[in-house]
Amino acid sequence: MENEKTRPIPLKDDNYTHNINRSNERSLDRRSFMKTMVGAAGLFAASTLPWGALAAKELMSSSSKSYPTQKIANLSDIKPGDAIEFAYPGEHDSALFVYVKEKEYKAYQNACTHLRCPVFWDRDEKELLCPCHHGKFDIATGNPLAGPPRRPLPEIVLQEKDGAVYAVGVKKYEEQL
Amino acid sequence: MKSSYRGVILLALILFASIVCTQYTVNMYLAQRYMEVLLLSGATVVLFPLAWMVLRKDQRDRREQGK
Repeated sequence: MENEKTRPIPLKDDNYTHNINRSNERSLDRRSFMKTMVGAAGLFAASTLPWGALAAKELMSSSSKSYPTQKIANLSDIKPGDAIEFAYPGEHDSALFVYVKEKEYKAYQNACTHLRCPVFWDRDEKELLCPCHHGKFDIATGNPLAGPPRRPLPEIVLQEKDGAVYAVGVKKYEEQL
Repeated sequence: MKSSYRGVILLALILFASIVCTQYTVNMYLAQRYMEVLLLSGATVVLFPLAWMVLRKDQRDRREQGK
């Protein structure tokens, strides 16, 4: 009878379905498992460093942060219930201006705080709606009302001058919460 | 508790804390709470050498036990 140890392929692996025979192919021993956990902890530590650097940069520059003044629309050109999409403060920061009712208007950066889908103005329900996962936001405060988002939409500071509305800044979260 | 379990459980807890801290770091950054971001990312960075020390101690203990 053939010796199990001298066979090129062990008898238990000599079949069509479980015939892979690489060294330690199926074993993750205790030491490797622990090393993997330490490696993962290192990976997480390294991945937080850019966020820390960005936060430090923001902390150092927050006092001198200035926003441009940007005209959104003439109030005579829009009717209550209308919404206008614009970009503020940067050209890639999509924002939504909503003329809620006479003398009342709001603007928010319209990337949903869940997965950054664009948020739309639901004129009938008077809510801001993210169609991706049916997140809803309060038009008065920007706070999430329903769906997965947990943080409010960043509000844009508006100013009325000579019958037109201007965006002049973005409120910080601390001021909103 | 058997010493063979202690290291594994400690490392699992440290890794869990790392995951939680990383998640909160990102959340706090998006919520513009930058001081918390610095504290949490600092905590995650400190957890790594801690995990390393647990691994080294575990290996040393096992060597002494002759395993």
